Amino acid sequence: MATAVDDTRLDATFAALANTTRRAILARLVEGAATVNELAEPFDMTLPAISKHLKVLERAGLIRRGHRAQFRPCAIEASRLKEVSTWADQYRSMWESRFDQMDVYLTQLQPPNAKRGTNE
Amino acid sequence: MSSDSEAAKSVVIERDFKAPIDLIWKMWSDPEHFKAWYGPQGATIPVAEFDLRVGGRRFVGMEVNTPNGTMRMWFTGEHLKVNEPNQLAYSESMSDENGSVQSPSSMGMPEGHPMTTEVRVDLVVTGDHTKMMLTHVGIPAGSPGAMGWNMALDKLATYVDANTTR
Repeated sequence: MATAVDDTRLDATFAALANTTRRAILARLVEGAATVNELAEPFDMTLPAISKHLKVLERAGLIRRGHRAQFRPCAIEASRLKEVSTWADQYRSMWESRFDQMDVYLTQLQPPNAKRGTNE
Repeated sequence: MSSDSEAAKSVVIERDFKAPIDLIWKMWSDPEHFKAWYGPQGATIPVAEFDLRVGGRRFVGMEVNTPNGTMRMWFTGEHLKVNEPNQLAYSESMSDENGSVQSPSSMGMPEGHPMTTEVRVDLVVTGDHTKMMLTHVGIPAGSPGAMGWNMALDKLATYVDANTTR
């Protein structure tokens, strides 16, 4: 079950995703782990600037980093993304069942024999 | 409709209903009709108040019977677009019975549910049917205008699905 802590963490995750550079970094990491230098390559940014983005992603739980101080390769944290994607999935099925009910209700409001066209 | 907002969709559902557009519009705008379909199975909607103009309030109360008794949930929001009978858009947050916004997870909602979401309904006549397109977009709390995360979700959820053993 969700807690206030989870909620705060999720806010951090959504905030982390709301940035073009960080999404580009994630998209790169989808292809495999990479070092800061490798991640910085496509961007017109200093290493410290890239490091700052990585810190935001790490705090949000979207990536994990190795412990070797010099290289600290970054890897994507799939479980976190999975968690974030679930609300959309849950809400999709909720709306689908609501609309099934709307269909039933509409049929009650307009009896089929009153006006019938070619169904399906 | 900018291409940005198009890309920011997070839940998009298209349905075809065999009913005139005015009736489908009423499904969303007339409290009595709305109450008849909106609740999940086993839920009732005792309260639905719609001030149908841009900036006007929406307030919905839901009652769900659980093994632990009746659970009440409240939702508040504001109408963002009201173009009868083609387009309705509103924001929505969980609230208490007075309409004060509450954190979704403190209300027992699924993890990952954003603080404020935006629901948009587009209706188009197709013969004697009506095509309805629902767009439900989550807006993370505290990041105004930052709907970009939905784009990330669209792309990355695909990756996650492909890489997570079920």
